[in-house]
Amino acid sequence: MSAPSKALAEFVAEATEILEALGKDLLVLDERRGQEADPDRVNGIFRAAHSLKGLAGLFGQERISRLAHGTEDLLDRLRLGKLHLNDAVLDTLIEALDAFQALLAETARGTETDGLTRRADGMAERLGHLGEAPVARDEDPLDRLELEAQVRSVFTEYEEHRLRENVRKGVSMWRVRAAFDLSDFDKGLADLNTRLKPLGEVISTLPSAQPGGAHGIAFDLIFGTQVSVPELESGLKGTPAELARLAVRPATTRSAEALVRATESPAIVLGTLGVGSAPEASTGTSPPASRGVRAATDGGTHQPLFPLASDPSDTEQGETGASGQDSEPDGEPAPSTKGPSLVTYLQGPGGRAPALAATPSGASQAGAGAASALAEPSLRSLTQTVRVDIGKLDGLINMVGELLLIKASLQRLAESARQEGVVPLSKLFGQELARETRGLERKLEALQEGLLEARMVPVGQVFDKLARLVRRITREAGKEIDFVIGGGEVELDKLIVEELSDPLMHLIRNAIDHGVESPDTRLAAGKPRRAVVSLRAEQKGNHVVIQVSDDGAGIDELRVREVALTRGLITRAQAEEMGRRELLNLIFLPGFSTARSVSELSGRGVGLDVVKNNLGNLSGIIDVWSERGKGTAFHLTLPVTLAIIRALVVGVSARTYAVPLNSVLEILSVQPREIRTMERREVLDVRGQTLPFVRLSRLFGLPERPVSRYFVVVVGLAQERLGIAVDELFGQQDIVTKPLGGRLQSVRGISGATDLGNRRPVLVLDVAALLEEGLALERRRA
Amino acid sequence: MSRFAELLDDFFFRPDEDVSGLQDFAAGSDGVASAAPEEVPEEYLSFRLEGESYAVPIRAVREISKVPPLTEIPRAEPHLLGVMNLRGELLPAYDIKVRLGLAEKAPLVAGPDAPVPPRDARILVLRTETGPAGVWVDTVSGVVKLKPSMLEPPPPGLRRGDKDCVVGIGRRGPSLYILLDPEQALAP
Repeated sequence: MSAPSKALAEFVAEATEILEALGKDLLVLDERRGQEADPDRVNGIFRAAHSLKGLAGLFGQERISRLAHGTEDLLDRLRLGKLHLNDAVLDTLIEALDAFQALLAETARGTETDGLTRRADGMAERLGHLGEAPVARDEDPLDRLELEAQVRSVFTEYEEHRLRENVRKGVSMWRVRAAFDLSDFDKGLADLNTRLKPLGEVISTLPSAQPGGAHGIAFDLIFGTQVSVPELESGLKGTPAELARLAVRPATTRSAEALVRATESPAIVLGTLGVGSAPEASTGTSPPASRGVRAATDGGTHQPLFPLASDPSDTEQGETGASGQDSEPDGEPAPSTKGPSLVTYLQGPGGRAPALAATPSGASQAGAGAASALAEPSLRSLTQTVRVDIGKLDGLINMVGELLLIKASLQRLAESARQEGVVPLSKLFGQELARETRGLERKLEALQEGLLEARMVPVGQVFDKLARLVRRITREAGKEIDFVIGGGEVELDKLIVEELSDPLMHLIRNAIDHGVESPDTRLAAGKPRRAVVSLRAEQKGNHVVIQVSDDGAGIDELRVREVALTRGLITRAQAEEMGRRELLNLIFLPGFSTARSVSELSGRGVGLDVVKNNLGNLSGIIDVWSERGKGTAFHLTLPVTLAIIRALVVGVSARTYAVPLNSVLEILSVQPREIRTMERREVLDVRGQTLPFVRLSRLFGLPERPVSRYFVVVVGLAQERLGIAVDELFGQQDIVTKPLGGRLQSVRGISGATDLGNRRPVLVLDVAALLEEGLALERRRA
Repeated sequence: MSRFAELLDDFFFRPDEDVSGLQDFAAGSDGVASAAPEEVPEEYLSFRLEGESYAVPIRAVREISKVPPLTEIPRAEPHLLGVMNLRGELLPAYDIKVRLGLAEKAPLVAGPDAPVPPRDARILVLRTETGPAGVWVDTVSGVVKLKPSMLEPPPPGLRRGDKDCVVGIGRRGPSLYILLDPEQALAP
């Protein structure tokens, strides 16, 4: 198959995003099994499935489209209350999510396997037959709500269902009317919605008849809540909302006229249509009028006001048209411009999903969804894109504009300097130049910061992804685990977040498979039956510390020692000298853990050396803590970004090198006589501990120069420590590392080069490689 | 012949037809019939190394740069002179004199002990399969057009070691150019 096209890449990116959102919501549902599902969440999942179906259809992804259709169908029944959300349904949905992900991965690779196609189609089939119908009720509770039939008729099926549910539960219903200025009604409405959400459920948002000022628009929100009136009022303080309670009759139904009288507003209906006016409304809503409007709006493309007025031949439409003209003086063009969307809205009751998407409430929710997606773009391992808040981009553009201004000033200065020629430049000129340069510097710093920020994404993305997997692993392992997540809002460079998922997965899998005991063993040991595995992130200065911990059995360092000895990783003599901490660190050695040792070892399993390596690539450090019987914790320390790093600039044999500061632990000043040799190998004695030591000049084969003292830069990555002797320290600097590139990939010990401002490339040391090299030397001699 | 075909007849091309006007039109209507020449000359960039003239196809040359400060790469292969920063791009710079047998060892041009590079020295940035690479030349002479008839195969028994990278000799009037294959010249 050919490589996937750009369009396809876009599809994959977008679909992945939808799946992430879907997965997040499913996870919440999963966590709250047994409780009543949050209707908003179910609706959210439904919308995600629906968008996925549309997207897949657009890109001709038949398989995904088919499965999405089945999923959407099931979710639609779910959200309309036609189906009860039970474990089987939830499990199937989660299974469907996995299938989606597999399909998408194949799409990204540009392949298509029959096995997966069959699996997807089988699942779509299964989704269709799934579920039990809920018990039928004899009386429609909705009839007890005193709401005009016309209003009821504009509800979507879903809204009607939610209204019915609320009434059935005895929730008090309100009409919240609020007028906003047309220029920012979307913000006002969104604000009102966020205030209402915690208090109850916004069932429907309908445009209101009462115009909110000259350029205003008003909405009626049908709102169900169980909080008291004062609470509701205080919750809405500061918003233009007016409350009116919708009466709910205990049992019997009254006549239609009574219904209209009971609630003062037939205007709602007309307001809904955007053509209604108060005088018209006061005469009472005559069925023909509303039918006329219906007819007109069913016409589809007409704007309610003008086309109707221009067609007086039809009596029904003429009537509405006249009323529209009446309302024009105070209604202004505002309602009419709103017309087309209202038309779409009104067509809603017949249709289902598409109409829902077109309702103002649907739109505002979608808007909120988009906003939150901007704030926390989802992790996309299949694509390389970062979603950036447009506000951030605007800020960056502004900064570039300001930089151009500074450039213009500098150009002017240069011009004037040239014209003055050999005449000595005035002091004023110097000052002006210095000021512009400072301005330039500040702006550049801000630009750099802004760009870095644009690369940042919350680690929560990986965490969410992991949480889903944890559920599966736990089930497979037959353990009972509470998975606790914290600090998901901590931000890291997108690149790092992407690279983190595998190491974290490894650690968590180990914690569940080998760290945590079985429920019975735990009970026997006097621990709670359910184990806790936690994943937390915390920002510490320029670093982020991520902790993966469990309250399991801990690592048995004696067993670690035995395994290390039998595998020949350490000699008996070395083992004798090792402390508990050093023994624990042996688990990071390559070759320590193999599949076989998993079962032998009470603690950890596979491939911690891989984890260590991955972290090393990210300039990260890993540390392990463990206590037998109490548990194990891994601390991963990571730089916030890799794009621009702080480096220590050092000098060796008159050459300059940069050492990433995030791997520098400390700097020692050492007299040559303090350097000891152990088995012809140079070491340093640092606070009673032996530190392996290399002279950079010797390692690099540079001419050595006699110095009175060395500076020893102690670097650490993962568990390793190494002292690197240099001649001079030049200080710290922010650097942008450029990789050496294709032709120079084989160069050892150098990760790239940077420019410190004098056009001469300065090499950046690859600390991980140097450590490896320095310690390999040591091991060989040991 | 049907009536329809008759109508179309004028539009058909006949081998004996004079179509030079059309050719002129296609050639840019400059009136001069561009009678396709038998030989299309290819442009080469010629430069000097230790007094000898060399040339590489000009399409292999991305740009010519003055010698910027070079930084040596510790423990790199001997013919790598160092890396340079060309407008923010990091490029390796190579010596090919050793490979061509013109020098015993690569000159010291990078690092703190390197002398100031000669005024005429240049770095040719060549396009290679593994990315752009710089090559040190003593001086750039200019662009020469060489027709295929001016090219000769490399003489047998040419200096040891350069068989691979010398692809031929270009002769234009009294001047001789040793033609190099950039890819081979830079091969590790």
